[in-house]
Amino acid sequence: MRRKRKKTGRLLFLSGMVISALIIFLGNKAVVKTSTDEYCASCHMHPQSTQSWKLSTHYDNQQGIHVHCVDCHLPPHGEGYLTEKTMTGLRDIWAKTFKDPESFNWEAKSQIEYAKGHAFEASCIHCHQNNYPLGLTKEGREAHLYYERQAGELHCINCHITVGHHDPNRLHAKNIDFGIIETAEVALYTEPGVMNGFNSFTEYIPGSAVSFEMVAIPGGTYQLGSPEDEPFRNDNEGPAREVKIIPFFMAKIEVSWREYLAFFKQTGAQGKTADAYLNVNQGDVDAISGPTAPWGAPDQGWGKGSLPAITMTHHAAEVYCQWLAKITGKKYRLPTEAEWEYAARGGTETPYFFEGDPKQYVKQGLRNKLFGVDTTGINSYIAYIKNSGSRSMGPESKMENPFGLVNMLGNVAEFCSDRYAEDAYSQYTNGPLTDPKGPAEGEEHVIRGGSYRDGADNVRCASREPTRSVPWLKTDPQMPKSIWWYSDCISVGFRVVCEFEEITADQQ
Amino acid sequence: MKPTKTTSRRRFLENSALGAIGVIGASQLIKSCAPGETTGEVVVPTILETAVDGQPLRAGVVGCGGRGTGAALDFLNAGPNLSIVAIADVFQDRIDGCRKELKEKKDVELADASCFVGFDAYKKLLEVDLDIVILATPPFFRPEHFQACVEARKHVFMEKPVAVDPVGARAVMAASKQAEAAGLCVVTGTQRRHSWNYQNVVARINAGMIGEIVSSNVYWNQSELWHREKQPTWTEMEFMLRDWVNWTWLSGDHIVEQHVHNIDVSNWFVGRHPVEAVGMGSRLRRLTGDCYDNFSVDFIYDKSIHMHSMCRQINDCANSVSEQLRGTKGYTDCEKTIWDAEGNELYKYESPVDEAGEPTINSPYVQEHIDLVTAIRTNNQIVEAEETAISVLTAIMGRESAYTGKKVTWEDMMGSDMVLGPKGELTMGPVDIKAVIPIAGSASN
Repeated sequence: MRRKRKKTGRLLFLSGMVISALIIFLGNKAVVKTSTDEYCASCHMHPQSTQSWKLSTHYDNQQGIHVHCVDCHLPPHGEGYLTEKTMTGLRDIWAKTFKDPESFNWEAKSQIEYAKGHAFEASCIHCHQNNYPLGLTKEGREAHLYYERQAGELHCINCHITVGHHDPNRLHAKNIDFGIIETAEVALYTEPGVMNGFNSFTEYIPGSAVSFEMVAIPGGTYQLGSPEDEPFRNDNEGPAREVKIIPFFMAKIEVSWREYLAFFKQTGAQGKTADAYLNVNQGDVDAISGPTAPWGAPDQGWGKGSLPAITMTHHAAEVYCQWLAKITGKKYRLPTEAEWEYAARGGTETPYFFEGDPKQYVKQGLRNKLFGVDTTGINSYIAYIKNSGSRSMGPESKMENPFGLVNMLGNVAEFCSDRYAEDAYSQYTNGPLTDPKGPAEGEEHVIRGGSYRDGADNVRCASREPTRSVPWLKTDPQMPKSIWWYSDCISVGFRVVCEFEEITADQQ
Repeated sequence: MKPTKTTSRRRFLENSALGAIGVIGASQLIKSCAPGETTGEVVVPTILETAVDGQPLRAGVVGCGGRGTGAALDFLNAGPNLSIVAIADVFQDRIDGCRKELKEKKDVELADASCFVGFDAYKKLLEVDLDIVILATPPFFRPEHFQACVEARKHVFMEKPVAVDPVGARAVMAASKQAEAAGLCVVTGTQRRHSWNYQNVVARINAGMIGEIVSSNVYWNQSELWHREKQPTWTEMEFMLRDWVNWTWLSGDHIVEQHVHNIDVSNWFVGRHPVEAVGMGSRLRRLTGDCYDNFSVDFIYDKSIHMHSMCRQINDCANSVSEQLRGTKGYTDCEKTIWDAEGNELYKYESPVDEAGEPTINSPYVQEHIDLVTAIRTNNQIVEAEETAISVLTAIMGRESAYTGKKVTWEDMMGSDMVLGPKGELTMGPVDIKAVIPIAGSASN
């Protein structure tokens, strides 16, 4: 009996060993099998993911090395490889089974903030152990010194985003050809537009073939800021103040690439240093020194034309207005945030300038999924996260607000001339205000309207945010950093306003 | 010799594990990874009387003035199988002088073909078959020369300071990392770090003998250094080069050129660099150039540790070249003595002497080369350039604060695009530089 039990025990033990070995063997085999590029590609149908990989230096390089999907998209072996592989696998199976590939927002997923979660820095460093190889350029050496001082804040792909998947629009390098490609010969305007009393007019940029519409915004009084019971209200939107606005003109659309490139071509300072300051005291258009060559592709490869110009700094936007004022002989400038909100509201007092409930738009509940929220209103007027595909849009895509302005809310956020303060509205003296201009001091400026990246909660008329100079220049490797282009901000642009001369004359 | 902060720990562990001649013990290694922390154990590295013998090492000298020639002799005195095979300078008379001295003192014969003259002489020298380059030109040239040496895979001995402006200092930091990755050895002429007396003191400070460090004072107050009168036959460039210690673009001013030694000692003992500086200075009696002749700078490390730095080059004033470091439990002159808080002597370094009373250890100027040669021959990599560049940038931060009257931060320095010196290629002609002596601040109307 005892002998038999012993024998059974041995058998059990042996078979246990065999099964374990088999599991390990098969498991290992499964890991290897499911880690091939072909296996990854069998599910991952991202537009051009394989193609762009094959065009990248991680596939086609002088060393003849192919860097495989799992080399970057999983951490190194022994540093969480299997855990991450399991999690990724489960996530992928879920998505493959239950999600509609059409519903994926690939543009958003290709942005660095998202990509950081799917390209492991430890994996970069696992292969690239020397940041200072002989032969590295001076700029490269400076940039790597900078990277090392930004411990934890910068990921390799902040600059090297294209190494795994080629994208000509995102190369991290000085873009000296930007904006100088000649367009077809067309008649150039020689005279600026004519302002005929307080009526909307068309502005013509002399020396260019570019024109744009300026809308007459009648004066009036309104509540600046949001009421305390407005959904998603932030503290910086109050206390609401009664504000009087005198008549002015505002551009119908956000400054387009077509408009901005006219400025770039006429004033661009190719070859100047990154911080070449303008000199506008000469009273001479030629004295305005415009932007230096940008870093990377400012338009993100989305195209230019009527799309809103982006990635220019607040300073650059101000210089644009000064330039525009000089060549048209009018008083162009950035709007104050009081003017901006007045124009955005167009006489309304609701969260948006149309009927619509932010809470309904933001809700993500099952009921909304099944029955659908009526987003007709918001979709007609605002380019925001749920309808933008994480890109800016041209002005033709959305409907006008009551004043006839397009894309005041969403699309790209817009610079105002005010310095930003969280409590700007309570800093003003008591009583009704007339054309307030914001705090006298402050490091950052106000941006308004939210952008294509924001949810419905942040594209309300009263939503306000500050510029973020430091993070928006994080990966600019130049010393000093550019005063003209943000390296890390792709959702902010601006819109010009023009003062009404007669009013100005009366007041003087 | 101890590993610098730039020597990667992994590389060092590998080297140690390989059983290369152990110049330092394991506990020293651990301590070197956490500068400033106290371990309680006093570990002083062994000092070598002469460099370890091994493969012949051939050196070239770039910059054949007094220091370059001196460094060449120090190198030859460092041990067996060492030779100087090429020299380079912008001036023929400097070449001749160096050649003569090497012949007289060490019987070194240099053929004409091994002597190079001109601004690009260093490039020609780098084409010679050699292992080590000694860089001893005015510091303006150092970043460019050092980069070229590293790209050519040469070991380097270079004099301090290693740059005159922030762009140059950062270039040396990066080139230092390249040298490290390429397995090269670099020693930088911070001779206090190679002095056994300083090493004995720092080991005790690191072990906690004076507690936590709370402040330091560093001084280089001396008489006028030297200057040259402009000769009628000299071009402007020749005059500036021969008078280089008086020109900021060439020397970095005396706080950088000379006082960096003491600032470096403070950084070494404290274990890090200051984060900001507020300084003042002026030019009272200097005769040529555009440098100041006195600086007083308050450097602040994190945790509000202040280093007061003072330097002067004016005759007939109180002089001192020294450091003072105060801790929670005592103080030290860094050079050889440690006291408790009441002024009782806790430790005093005694220089080892032989029976005749002669010191048995080398001058630190030779010791630097002994350490370099030993590091190369024993495969115990040593790369000091980054740490020295950090101390040089510290001094530049103080200088810029004194010149401008503003507070200058480490971040300012690490982001600054300041490049001194004339633009474009250098020639022996006029120099396109406005010699303006900076005056800080403004006067009331």
